[in-house]
Amino acid sequence: MSNYFYVNPEQLTKDRAEFAQKGIARGRSIVAAIYETGVVMVAENPSASLNKISEIYDRLAFAGVGKYNEFDRLKEAGIRWADGTGYTYSREDVDARALANYFAQYLGQVFSEGQKPLEVEILVAQLGNNIRPTKLYRVGYEGTITDEPMFAVLGGDAETIKGRFAASESELKPLSQTLKDCIAAISGPERTIPVSDIEACILEDRGTRRTFIRLNDNQVSELLG
Amino acid sequence: MGLPLFSAQDDPGPDFFRFAKSAGLSAPQSSESIDLPHATTVIAVRYEGGVVMVGDRQATGHYIASRDIRKIEAADRFTAIAISGSAARGIEFIKLAQLSFEHYEKMTDTSLSLEGKANYLSPIIQNNNLTTPLTVMPLLAGWDTSHKVGRIFEFDGAGGCYERADFATIGSGTPFAESALRLGFRSDLDLEAALELGALALYEAGDNDPSTGGPDFVRGLFPMMVIINEGGFQEVPTEAVAARFKTINDRRTNSGGIAGGTLR
Repeated sequence: MSNYFYVNPEQLTKDRAEFAQKGIARGRSIVAAIYETGVVMVAENPSASLNKISEIYDRLAFAGVGKYNEFDRLKEAGIRWADGTGYTYSREDVDARALANYFAQYLGQVFSEGQKPLEVEILVAQLGNNIRPTKLYRVGYEGTITDEPMFAVLGGDAETIKGRFAASESELKPLSQTLKDCIAAISGPERTIPVSDIEACILEDRGTRRTFIRLNDNQVSELLG
Repeated sequence: MGLPLFSAQDDPGPDFFRFAKSAGLSAPQSSESIDLPHATTVIAVRYEGGVVMVGDRQATGHYIASRDIRKIEAADRFTAIAISGSAARGIEFIKLAQLSFEHYEKMTDTSLSLEGKANYLSPIIQNNNLTTPLTVMPLLAGWDTSHKVGRIFEFDGAGGCYERADFATIGSGTPFAESALRLGFRSDLDLEAALELGALALYEAGDNDPSTGGPDFVRGLFPMMVIINEGGFQEVPTEAVAARFKTINDRRTNSGGIAGGTLR
């Protein structure tokens, strides 16, 4: 017969949280913000092919920080969930809140029952229309879900970046200004990030069903002016 | 549906059809024979800058079930899918194809090649046609963005996929449409000539095949005409289609109803 040792749940939770936070802090942060006509997501990412920001559905996007293999698997699950739901019901029934809740349930479950918590923080962004609002749902490694009103910051350095960004953002601005603010918040006062290391994506209406656009280096440079 | 997570060994990858099957989303197969709306004529003609497609709008059961269904749809920006056979399965098939191509693109950040799309559909058609009497016979045409050329793929009832260098037709009006195409096709057709030939071929099919709807001047309903080229999938506006069919129709009236004159 095996022996079971008593572990204080408070200690266990603390240890797991610390472990997850450490893992997340190793990666770079992401800022997502609502601007006048859409949602912009910005990541510092030297790789042009291993993306941190992805299209999920017509009006939904995903962003993840932390361990790439872990959030990429969640992204794939998100795409499958959205495509499967839209196929079963209707495209307009695919809702960010439902998806964010599933992510939160899963992350919460792994945090308390898994071998180790996932070292990720994710964002589900939704571009609003006449039936749904524009939303930024941030889901933490332990399954905490927050509905961020104007902007969301993911990653280890979140509090500092949040402070920098909050100082610049009080009302909705055009894309170019919001993008500048996002990049300034990520880089901080001492650093400039080369355009080639910026991954920027937007959700914006352009008269087509799909609204996700991945901005290339030229488009980013042009917007930065 | 909960969050669809898979272990690395069971992961269906970017294949939506496989995922839908594993998640129990795809429609159940039936072996019972039921009479359902069917029949079609859809034509695809290659021209020097792409592909032109023309399709009638009628769904036929024992009676005319619908006069305005769309049998050609954009599967993505550079690809069109047309259907014949069971309308129910055909429309489902278009939906599945559109979704699968987009799913692949979102999962991998790259688009499937045109040939990849055609091959992908083969087993889906085979699976459908060999397990139910509700057969569906699609036609895939598109602009191949990597080889800069318009391409047409047709399928047989068992899912076999064949590329056509000239033109292809599907549906019950095929004998009449194909005859017109065989007489009128040249390898150096320009866009205007391809549109004209496609319209003529469809007119002949509508004229002789009871299950193919020709131009309906009473209701102002006309066949669909689509161009797929470097600029992507574009539908020809209804007024332009109407004018084209009106010309063909007037010519037929003037010739005293004799068909032979239309190609000259």
